[in-house]
Amino acid sequence: MRKLLTEAYRFIIRTSAFIGKETIEVLRQTPLILTLVLGPFLIMLLFGIGYRNEARPLRTMIVMQDGDPYQQQVESMATSLGQGVIYQGTTSDRESAMQALRQGSLDMVVVIPPDIPKTLRGNQQVAVQFYHNEMDPSQVSYIGYFGSTYIDEINRRIVRTYAEQGQENASTLEQRLENAHQRVDAMRQALEAGNAAAAQDEQVQLDGEIDAISLLVGGSLGLMSSLDGQMVDGEGAPVSTENQATRDYLTQLQEHNQEVSSIQAGKASYQSELEKLDQLDSDLSNLEAQLEDFQDVEPGVLVAPLRSETVNLQAINIRPVDFYAPAAVVLLLQHLAITFSALAIVREERSGSMELFRISPLSSLEALLGKYLSYLLVGAALAAVITATIVLAIKVPMLGTWVNYALLVLTLLFTALGTGFLLSLFARTELQAVQYAMFILLGSVFFSGFFLDLRYLWEPVRAISWMLPATYAIRLMQSLMLRGDLVDIRLYATLLGIGVLLFILVWFMLRRRMQSEWS
Amino acid sequence: MIETALVHEKIDQNSIRADQAAAVHTIQVRNLRKQFGDQVVVDDVSFYVPHGTVFGFIGPSGCGKTTTVRMLTGIYHPTSGEVEILGKKPGKFSRQDREKIGYMPQQFVLYPDLSVWENLSFAASVYGVGFRRSQRMQELLEFVELWDHRHKKVGQISGGMQRRLSLAATLVHEPELMFLDEPTTGLDPVLRQKFWQHFHDLKESGITLFVTTQYVSDAAYCDLVGVMVDSRLAALDSPEELRRQAFGGDLVMLRSIERINYDRIQALNQLPFVRQTGRVGENEVRITVDEAATAIPELVEWSKNTGTEIESIQEFLPAYDDVFVALINKESKRA
Repeated sequence: MRKLLTEAYRFIIRTSAFIGKETIEVLRQTPLILTLVLGPFLIMLLFGIGYRNEARPLRTMIVMQDGDPYQQQVESMATSLGQGVIYQGTTSDRESAMQALRQGSLDMVVVIPPDIPKTLRGNQQVAVQFYHNEMDPSQVSYIGYFGSTYIDEINRRIVRTYAEQGQENASTLEQRLENAHQRVDAMRQALEAGNAAAAQDEQVQLDGEIDAISLLVGGSLGLMSSLDGQMVDGEGAPVSTENQATRDYLTQLQEHNQEVSSIQAGKASYQSELEKLDQLDSDLSNLEAQLEDFQDVEPGVLVAPLRSETVNLQAINIRPVDFYAPAAVVLLLQHLAITFSALAIVREERSGSMELFRISPLSSLEALLGKYLSYLLVGAALAAVITATIVLAIKVPMLGTWVNYALLVLTLLFTALGTGFLLSLFARTELQAVQYAMFILLGSVFFSGFFLDLRYLWEPVRAISWMLPATYAIRLMQSLMLRGDLVDIRLYATLLGIGVLLFILVWFMLRRRMQSEWS
Repeated sequence: MIETALVHEKIDQNSIRADQAAAVHTIQVRNLRKQFGDQVVVDDVSFYVPHGTVFGFIGPSGCGKTTTVRMLTGIYHPTSGEVEILGKKPGKFSRQDREKIGYMPQQFVLYPDLSVWENLSFAASVYGVGFRRSQRMQELLEFVELWDHRHKKVGQISGGMQRRLSLAATLVHEPELMFLDEPTTGLDPVLRQKFWQHFHDLKESGITLFVTTQYVSDAAYCDLVGVMVDSRLAALDSPEELRRQAFGGDLVMLRSIERINYDRIQALNQLPFVRQTGRVGENEVRITVDEAATAIPELVEWSKNTGTEIESIQEFLPAYDDVFVALINKESKRA
């Protein structure tokens, strides 16, 4: 028992040898800490402050023929499309516009083709060309997206103009309907007075009004039907109930008008004609009511009946810096832990200390535990400083519990240390170890989802992502800080599992390294 | 084996019975050989190191000294031959066995960013020293005269101080046996002498020291010396015996007032205790004798008898560099 206690005591003493030594060594290397921690942190901070998540305004010139009838409309649209376009004028000199684009004084040249009405009459779309001189694929995509949005907006405005025009026609129609009512009243009075000749005169004028009403109603119906069609599936779409009712009222109106068209003079009673005039009056009122609905509709609603509203389930409004800060903390801590541990074993090997350890009673487990614990302590202290900075100074929200946060940070450090120790066992020189650590950092920046969502990666390549501790920790950290919980406990378990596996692997390899040839 | 025979002769001189020999030898090496690929680095080396002695393992750089130390400490496995350290094969060392051994490697391997005290504390922890650690460390730092520098970073102290700190780190767990791989290399003569004084103090406290060195003159400080030449042990004996081995006996320098002529030199050669003579100058001759202590009175007597007026007569102790060169030459001829 006493022997066991003595051995346990010595185990603690031997393990503590590395806790003290490694911690002091790291803390004494102030420039190293500044380089490893403050350097990347300042870069990320500057990036966070400097990054603007806004659409880039494009200096745009429009090329169209002199005297084009649409010039005023196009210019008006160009200047009223928001901050996406910095309108630089309209020219008919295409070459000079292209030259300016090549020289970088313009970002985009919009070429409007000549004779738009002719193209439309030929039942063809008008192709508006957007020229740019970008190399960056994301900027190329942006300009493509911008062009498409720009054209959609113009199309929408054109349709709106038609809608407004249709509503103006409806106002004319209202007047016509009023006129028709008056003619019907005049006919009624003439027939009640037995004046067939006067009634016939009025009927001729009523015919003219109903022809005009038929034309105007037909136009409005066309517009509304096309809108209905867009709402459903284009051609062959079913006609709405309201439109069908309007059509029915119009047909009845025309039929009843036909019936009162042949009034004979000298009849004793015009009772049947008077009844038909009542029906005609009723038809006109029905049509009037139906068209009031159409007139009351806002043109913007007619043209764009649907609009999007995005509702986030998150309790808070997340700024770009809030989203990236937890990921930056993860990358920073991972890089720190990997760099420290990547140097740890190769440095002992290069300095000759490993030879001393082989002869000493020190075991690989004691050495490894000591190193793990020291770097966990240092990493946790640095994590506390970094976290305090982003939460208190940058005001990144922290919705999760600090216990979960501490567990996550320790697990990340534990796994990253395992990665670093593994690299250290493969590295032959300290320079090589640092290069390996930088290689992991580079891989993490691109593959961990730090700034590029993993869904954009080809699936086999995603395997690399899931080999990196940062991939798990970034998701967990963002979820913990911005949602208040660990997104998926399986992610945490996998991160911890990788850490444990690395610990066992590194222990096995270090054990072999510290064994003598005799073993 | 000539080496083994010499060692046994020395053991016999110390009146140690053969059956007790194994018990008192801290290190026993028989026919040790180490080969890396086709290259033989240590070839057929045999020696014993008795408990409480300072064993000097001398030879030029690359002769196989460090490889031998690594086999003795258990880092390398011998290609053939047998090693026993403290009665155990290095491959069978337990933790307790390792705690009895101290190793000071050739290169300084402590940590430059830690202070003298912190480095020593680390070494103590590695060996599980817990109780009375501070007191032990203070004693050691005073012993190697570094107490006043204990707060200095190791990267900022001199090479000699670093060596002394290495020595302290090797001693911190109070080992029974110490392997010191070229501890005096690069030190100035004064500091070297100090180191050897430390080694003798340690020996006095009962520690066995196995010291490798390139400095042949260091042999004078050892109880027993093994001379390595081209991977082989060329000689093994006490420093005095090595000198005798190198020159075939003790050397006596005889200087006369007059010129020593050829007839007198011939007469000297006829004396039974004289092995050979060599003229050094007109009136000076170097005489190789069985034993200087007994030969000098007889030579004085011979001078009186032959009318040779002696200006001076004394034992000549050649520098160990010369001893070493002579041994190498002998080994080369033998090979």
